[in-house]
Amino acid sequence: MKTIWRSAVLSLLTILAATPALAQKRNLVVAAATADAGKLDPHLTSLGADKGMLNWIFNALVRIKPGQVNPEFIEPDLAESWTANADKTEWTFKIRKGVACHGNYGEFTAEDAAYSLKRAADKARSAFAGDLASIASADVVDSHALKVTLKNPIPSLLGLLANYHGGMMVCKKAAEELGESFARKPIGTGPFMFVEYQAQQFVKLAANKSFFRGAPQIDEITYRYMPSDATRDLALQSGELDMVFGRQTDQWVARMRSVKGVKVASIEPAELNMLHLNIKAKPLDDIRVRQAIAHAIDRKGMVQLLGDQVSREAVSVIPNGNLGTTTLSLPAHDIAKAKQLLSEAGYPNGLTIKVIVSTHPTLSKITEGLQAQLQKAGITLDMQPVDHPTWHQQIRKDLSPIVMYQAFRFPVADSYLSLFFHSAAAIGSPTAQTNFSHCDVADKEIEAARSEPDQAKQKALWKTAQEKVAAALCGVPFSESLQVWAWSDALDLGYDMAGSLNLVPDLTEKTRFVR
Amino acid sequence: MLGYLVRRTVLAAVTGIAVLTLAFCIVRILPGKPSHVILGDFASQAAIEALDKRLGLDRPIWVQYADFMRKSVMGDWGTSMVTDRPVVDEILRVLPWTLELTVAALVIGIVLGVPLGVWAALRRNGAADYAIRVASLLGLSFPAFVSAVLLLLLFSIQLSWFPVISARTGSLSAWAQSLALPAINLGLINAAYITRVTRSAMLEVLHEDYVRTARAKGVPWSAVVWRHALGNAMIPIVTVVGLFLGILIGNSVLTEIVFNRPGLGKLIVGALNQRDYTMLQALMVTYTLLVVAVNVLTDLVYGVVDPRVKLQ
Repeated sequence: MKTIWRSAVLSLLTILAATPALAQKRNLVVAAATADAGKLDPHLTSLGADKGMLNWIFNALVRIKPGQVNPEFIEPDLAESWTANADKTEWTFKIRKGVACHGNYGEFTAEDAAYSLKRAADKARSAFAGDLASIASADVVDSHALKVTLKNPIPSLLGLLANYHGGMMVCKKAAEELGESFARKPIGTGPFMFVEYQAQQFVKLAANKSFFRGAPQIDEITYRYMPSDATRDLALQSGELDMVFGRQTDQWVARMRSVKGVKVASIEPAELNMLHLNIKAKPLDDIRVRQAIAHAIDRKGMVQLLGDQVSREAVSVIPNGNLGTTTLSLPAHDIAKAKQLLSEAGYPNGLTIKVIVSTHPTLSKITEGLQAQLQKAGITLDMQPVDHPTWHQQIRKDLSPIVMYQAFRFPVADSYLSLFFHSAAAIGSPTAQTNFSHCDVADKEIEAARSEPDQAKQKALWKTAQEKVAAALCGVPFSESLQVWAWSDALDLGYDMAGSLNLVPDLTEKTRFVR
Repeated sequence: MLGYLVRRTVLAAVTGIAVLTLAFCIVRILPGKPSHVILGDFASQAAIEALDKRLGLDRPIWVQYADFMRKSVMGDWGTSMVTDRPVVDEILRVLPWTLELTVAALVIGIVLGVPLGVWAALRRNGAADYAIRVASLLGLSFPAFVSAVLLLLLFSIQLSWFPVISARTGSLSAWAQSLALPAINLGLINAAYITRVTRSAMLEVLHEDYVRTARAKGVPWSAVVWRHALGNAMIPIVTVVGLFLGILIGNSVLTEIVFNRPGLGKLIVGALNQRDYTMLQALMVTYTLLVVAVNVLTDLVYGVVDPRVKLQ
């Protein structure tokens, strides 16, 4: 009898103990705002939605701590530790042992790391080859040691090797065996493994039970492609989705906050909204015209227009929060002064400037706001709307003397300054990137900062560069737009969320449902 | 009948060749290049040029054209420039979704539209006629994406009868459940068109001598309406249904987006935004083939509903 009672009590306890585990949800459904996947290769894709998901599949030698975006939070990932020589041109990384590539592709070793860096630096196989141009070689020292040699010291090698763009590590055997189809079947070492892709619907990922940081607490992720804002919101409300990409408006944030069981967050990184003024083209080659534009723009007004829950005022010609950002004294909103400057420049009756504008809803809304503000000072923006791909092509042919651009780059001052304000990146040059203003006033400081080993001096050089660019009015920064996400309050991300460098919240082995 | 079919087939083939050429030209006239979209604004000029080379876009345009025509005739449509997946596989994967939605919407449109149109014609200028005319006008004027969101709010959020994300999950009931709302959304618009055409076609034939004669002979009123009158009013109705079927395949894009269903419409919008030349070319040809097929089908139905067409 005693045995029967003991068995009964034990059974009951077992059932009670098992019940919460059974009830706990272990499949996560996330919605991106795009219609379909692009190339699922971390070295090729430029789509934010793809990059975010690939961050769950791949690792890098180092990573920015989940939930953070600043390089000061860099910590070991596939590399356990590293050392550098005195002038920081030779780095040796000790690769973590026992890391398994997804599928049957063996252990991740220094050979995979060297292969990944060479692949990411190859312009035929990578969109981010330019970022890694300073790497002279990546050599295998032994199976778990990698030596990276630089052509010259750079501000943040660890930043380049973090879990972002060209820093992502692929498994050599898988990449070589799969060839171009690697972009349809990505193989990494991360907490989640690629399982299935359904066109225009979803990508399915499964937990990598042998993940080196521990088995994930989510068994399956369905990453849905849902371009309709309304449908994403309704599906979150109905419980069909657990996490959605939001709309960058205060109204959306307020509405979703009122939905029971939903958490909303505006997260870093913020994308800097700036008018890039071509300083070599008429009439913008006259600094008084550029000053007039700067004084005509009301930064507070733009933040009001875009919503103060999802945007904030710009503080410099590079995004706030980057390593090296200096808060500058930007031109004050002063219509009378703007008109006076225009008069002095020979335009007493105002002037009209052509602007090619993307029909992308966010970009066109911002440009329309600016158009209304500038009109008050007599500056007419002759807006010529074109679709987004056409806009990208036309602004890279110098067809628009003013370019309204929204962007963030790896959060080290050198990235933004080099890509937007160094003469080597000027449109039309062989090494053209996104210097739409043809700015060349701070080349010396930008270059000197790159190889400056003393961080205080490096920051001083970046400060001077920002001041020079701002004084020359190569660009007029006015606001910054944050990333907006909403998720079920039953979901515990496993870290404090401040931001995500890959624009999509990190999902780690610690992410779980609490009910 | 055989000669008729042969003539139509030859015409369709000539149309097909013209479409291939047009498809090739149109996608290349569009400003914006796939390499820019694929690599994004982080890519250097060198990386863009390298990708152009890999995609074969650095070759002279006539070489690209000759290559495209040769491969098309051989049935090789290539792979998507953006995803690297074979375009035929991509199209075939989503085609059933579009076809089932189109057919379901058409059935709803006919089942609702024809009886309502007949009823409105019989009650001309009466309360029912006015109500149907106003309702059909609303159906024509209401944007598909607005009605889609309203349907979702009512049936998915308030009543929880249907899922918000309309995608098959395996079982027949799940499939029917996920098809219902998108099909109703498109079907109602379709019904509005068919109602109006049926009403005006019926109004014309109801005053014909043969209708009066049939009634004078004592043929039951229902037989006069449904057999004699509607039978003769079928040609304009079939024409509109045929035309609408072609339009429906193209117009389903908004419904597909709001209900998050895969489909040709969504595929072509994505390919257009990404300047995916190979996908766009294949989709334009697919659309053309579908429209040609619908036209041939409509012509064949003419022969069924009107024996005079068969004789010609």
